Amino acid sequence: MPVLWIILTMIALGVVGFLVGRKRAMSSVDGDPRHLHSLPNYYGVNVAMMTMVPSLLLLLLWMLVQPMVIERQISGMISDSAVEQGANLSLVMTDVRRVANGLDEVVAQGVMTRPEAREINAEATNVRELLGSVGVALGSDVRPEVLQAAQRYRGLKGKLSVMMAVAVIGLGLVGFAYATYRTTKDFRARNIVEAGMKALLILASTIAILTTLGIVFSMLFETRNFFSQYSWTEFFFGFVWSPNFRGGSELGILPLLWGTLYISFIALLFAVPIGLFAAIYMSEYAGPKMRAIAKPLIEILAGIPTIVYGLFALITVGPMLRDYFAQPLGLGESSASVATAGIVMGIMLIPFVSSLSDDIINAVPQTMRDGSLGLGATKSETIRQVVIPAALPGIVGAILLAASRAIGETMIVVLGAGAAARMSLNPFEAMTTVTVKIVSQLTGDTDFASPETLVAFALGLTLFVITLGLNVFALFIVRKYREQYE
Amino acid sequence: MTDATANPTPPSAHSGSLLVQDKLTKKRNAAEARFKLYGLTAVSLGILALVLLLASILSNGLSSFQQTFVSLDVELVEAKLDKNGNRNIDDIKKVSTFGYAPLIKAAVEKAIADGGIEIEGLTAKDAAGIVSKDAPAQLRNYVIANPEKIGTTINFNLLANGRIDGYQKGRVTKESAELDSNVSPEQLMLADALKENGTLVKRFNWGFITRPDASENRPEAAGLGVAILGSLYMMMVVLVLALPIGVAASIYLEEFAPKNRWTDLIEVNISNLAAVPSIVFGILGLAIFINFAGLPQSAPIVGGLVLTLMTLPTIIIATRASLKSVPPSIRDAALGVGASKMQSVLHHVLPLAAPGILTGTIIGLAQALGETAPLLLIGMVAFVREYPSAPPEGFFDPASALPVQVYNWTQRADPAFVERASGAIIVLLIFLVFMNAVAIMLRRRFERRW
Amino acid sequence: MNDMRMVEREVDTKEVKISARDCQVYYGDNHAIKDVNVDIEDKTVTAFIGPSGCGKSTFLRCLNRMNDTIDICRVEGQIKLDGEDIYDPAVDPVQLRAKVGMVFQKPNPFPKSIYDNIAYGPRIHGLAKNKADLDVIVEKSLRRGAIWDEVKDRLDKPGTGLSGGQQQRLCIARAVATEPEVLLMDEPCSALDPIATAQVEELIDELRGRYSVVIVTHSMQQAARVSQKTAFFHLGNLVEFGETGQIFTNPQDPRTESYITGRIG
Repeated sequence: MPVLWIILTMIALGVVGFLVGRKRAMSSVDGDPRHLHSLPNYYGVNVAMMTMVPSLLLLLLWMLVQPMVIERQISGMISDSAVEQGANLSLVMTDVRRVANGLDEVVAQGVMTRPEAREINAEATNVRELLGSVGVALGSDVRPEVLQAAQRYRGLKGKLSVMMAVAVIGLGLVGFAYATYRTTKDFRARNIVEAGMKALLILASTIAILTTLGIVFSMLFETRNFFSQYSWTEFFFGFVWSPNFRGGSELGILPLLWGTLYISFIALLFAVPIGLFAAIYMSEYAGPKMRAIAKPLIEILAGIPTIVYGLFALITVGPMLRDYFAQPLGLGESSASVATAGIVMGIMLIPFVSSLSDDIINAVPQTMRDGSLGLGATKSETIRQVVIPAALPGIVGAILLAASRAIGETMIVVLGAGAAARMSLNPFEAMTTVTVKIVSQLTGDTDFASPETLVAFALGLTLFVITLGLNVFALFIVRKYREQYE
Repeated sequence: MTDATANPTPPSAHSGSLLVQDKLTKKRNAAEARFKLYGLTAVSLGILALVLLLASILSNGLSSFQQTFVSLDVELVEAKLDKNGNRNIDDIKKVSTFGYAPLIKAAVEKAIADGGIEIEGLTAKDAAGIVSKDAPAQLRNYVIANPEKIGTTINFNLLANGRIDGYQKGRVTKESAELDSNVSPEQLMLADALKENGTLVKRFNWGFITRPDASENRPEAAGLGVAILGSLYMMMVVLVLALPIGVAASIYLEEFAPKNRWTDLIEVNISNLAAVPSIVFGILGLAIFINFAGLPQSAPIVGGLVLTLMTLPTIIIATRASLKSVPPSIRDAALGVGASKMQSVLHHVLPLAAPGILTGTIIGLAQALGETAPLLLIGMVAFVREYPSAPPEGFFDPASALPVQVYNWTQRADPAFVERASGAIIVLLIFLVFMNAVAIMLRRRFERRW
Repeated sequence: MNDMRMVEREVDTKEVKISARDCQVYYGDNHAIKDVNVDIEDKTVTAFIGPSGCGKSTFLRCLNRMNDTIDICRVEGQIKLDGEDIYDPAVDPVQLRAKVGMVFQKPNPFPKSIYDNIAYGPRIHGLAKNKADLDVIVEKSLRRGAIWDEVKDRLDKPGTGLSGGQQQRLCIARAVATEPEVLLMDEPCSALDPIATAQVEELIDELRGRYSVVIVTHSMQQAARVSQKTAFFHLGNLVEFGETGQIFTNPQDPRTESYITGRIG
């Protein structure tokens, strides 16, 4: 792994740099560190930093850009006719990469020498067999054009890799020399090192923004691809969801949204009253002993992974609802249903609603309660007529946050709601949600050129926008509410 | 203050004696009691849900830690395993598992004959069928490891077939066996007989924790080994990446960042990322790490990266809270003796905030450990039988993860996998309980009140 | 004016509204009120004075059992309202608090309209048969709270939008609306500016014609201005209780004297 070697070289250089920098600083003051501007170690760190940081950044950048450059070079070589045979360019490129990697493997395993591998041609050798012998399986025979591209790919990659190693180590040496040259007793090493550290801190804090950008752009890009193949009006306003990998799919989001919202509604129907009343009881009625036991117990529910809830829905709640409600009432035969997923999701949301409401209810000032109790109101009258109205905005915010969680929840609905996209009012019927369909379209064999796969990105983007909107709105309300009592 | 007495005074609210409750007060007190009851009901419902959830998982899953084994004396016939007789390991390896099946069949027949068991309608094939289809592989591994034992007779504890195991655990009955093409009532009778003479035993199932996954029709052989390793690798990646990045970001935001639009934007971003549905992170991982950066599917490194991004907000929020709780006087004291801002933070504030940061990190890791949805999208659902190699190469090998393994098993038809899935959840919950206990302990031990 | 009142005081002998005998209050292990005996008269303003933490507010809160809301608080001894023990198990604190209203240190209007703030008490106690009745009660209470003229045109505006002094008078009007017999005021002016304080003090003097008023105050001047009887608390003990004029001019106990002359407190 040459990249690993480059990194190790740079680290070694950095260590040497640290020692050299420190030594040079000490010798510049004849071994008396009191005459230095900074502590001796800072001089060492400065040299190490200047050696390693710019070169490793270059390495990172190079590794990001190199595949794109190679791709562009190679894709020019592939004629349109080859593309037609191979259905599309990206598939052909995948083949090229596989063949190239396979040839590398051939050399690595010693089946052929490097020059032999370079001289292979598709007429003389059965490349597929050859690659198969080293464990690289190919779907079809290798066309000469692809083989040629693969050879060129290998050539370019090799050349660029050498260039990369030279450039990275070169930059490291330049940094080494520059920093060493600057190391004198008046050099403000600490300030430079601290500025460098601060830059690293800033870099770390921008990861959050990069993540958001990554989310948005990765989905936007593929969603655009999707809408170039499928009309957006049919996606947003279609009432039918029936993907078909042989083409002619109908991909309307409405049945999925209906399932999502129906399940979320049932979940909130359970979670909000229970969570809210539990929070009220805990904060206004329960004695310290009761609180010490019941509160952590309810919070355990929040720490349980959603897959556990999913399994609970699948093996316990679903069959129970089917046997005791759906079948006797003649409402359905399926154990996966809107009600199953909704109830289990409701259980998951109870601690979420109750801990948020608890915070919000506790933020209502005690004087407000005293005022009401002092007038001879009972506790429940105080809560219903004074505390809850005062806390209402915050509670609404909490419910919105819970709703956003319900909408984005995946595992419970995957295991509890079913896979049939339909719009029905019967809660005992299986329906499906946006998240279920994202999972089903993106797992298993996927083809990133077909609308049936790409639709998942459009679904993801829709989900992201809905939940983001809810979150921003809810956080805004909650923050406004907090300010009111601060 | 003009007129306070113009209107005749209406009767006071409760003009009678305090010792007698009037009608209205009684009504209001009843309403109060009802309201309180609603609250108590809500709390009880929450706790009841927890109890039901745990009871359901435990009752379904605990049995997976027990497994039925058949104790058989198997003769390792030299003529079949090593025709040349020179114990050449390569020759021995050429004998596939099909070559071992007859040995087991013979061993079962011998056990039946020795035990004097006679069951009407039991064919020899059926009789051998009570042993798992995975048993030949078990034998073969043993022989390859100990070629010198060829030709001797050795007592093996072989896995019993999943249905026989199910029969021992009450999942399969003689009635259900009538309708089942995979097992016959005669086999169950044989199992009863073998149990009688001690050949069929139930023991603790270490294989469940150490073995890799097994195929659809061998639930008895399926284990969590690969999944546990995969989860462990991912947690390592998350810890190595999320902790330093999270701490660095928090230090910047809490100690250095000026109050401006840019830092506001970062903060809003962090609080929103904490609420983005996890599946969206899966899409991100698929699009960026796999399709764009070309990292391999099903690899712990990709899972780790995705979970890192998910865990970062949790760690940042916890770290900032604990940095905030260090009183400013500590910073002032350090600055006052001439330390730079960076030194005051690194030498004084950070060590004081460390317990809080660790607690937050462990809780973040626990969350990441249980996360499933994003891992489905980056291909961790694949069927993986090979253990990943040791890190760092192992990070790039295909692996599974505990919660994904649970999902995988729920998708299989054999009901024995429901037991396995519940058992896997118990293992997952044990890890979570352990991590949370460590977090709570850390908090108790090092919590400092200023 | 003060002199005239002095004369008036000596003539009046009023009936006792609240009497406390051997009253003890504990917060957990802390003995906060010790052996307090006091008779609070009807149609009189009684002031509780003393240094911070002396227990005067705690004792006030015992008079309408507001201390019940604090888990660790325990009250022993006897407190009688019109001859009935208010700590009798048969007594419902809800009924008691309707008779013994309370005004707090910080103005605490509910986040509702001014009208609803006043109507809250009458509604929960069922004092009005219909809307017209309620309108009458609201107007009367606001007039008694001496704030009617200021808010009559904006009864549907939130009570939190008023100034501090107005809010406090609104809270007094709100307490008056349930037709209490006793009004407890816990440092009602400590959060107000001098002008608002003067208005509230004037109001307290008017309320005396109708209710027994008990006021806790930090300010000795205020006690002298508004009250007829004064009780001096120190370290949980009721040190001295008597006519306001006498307490301020001729205290019997040396501790009272030191407090009044500013040596302790």
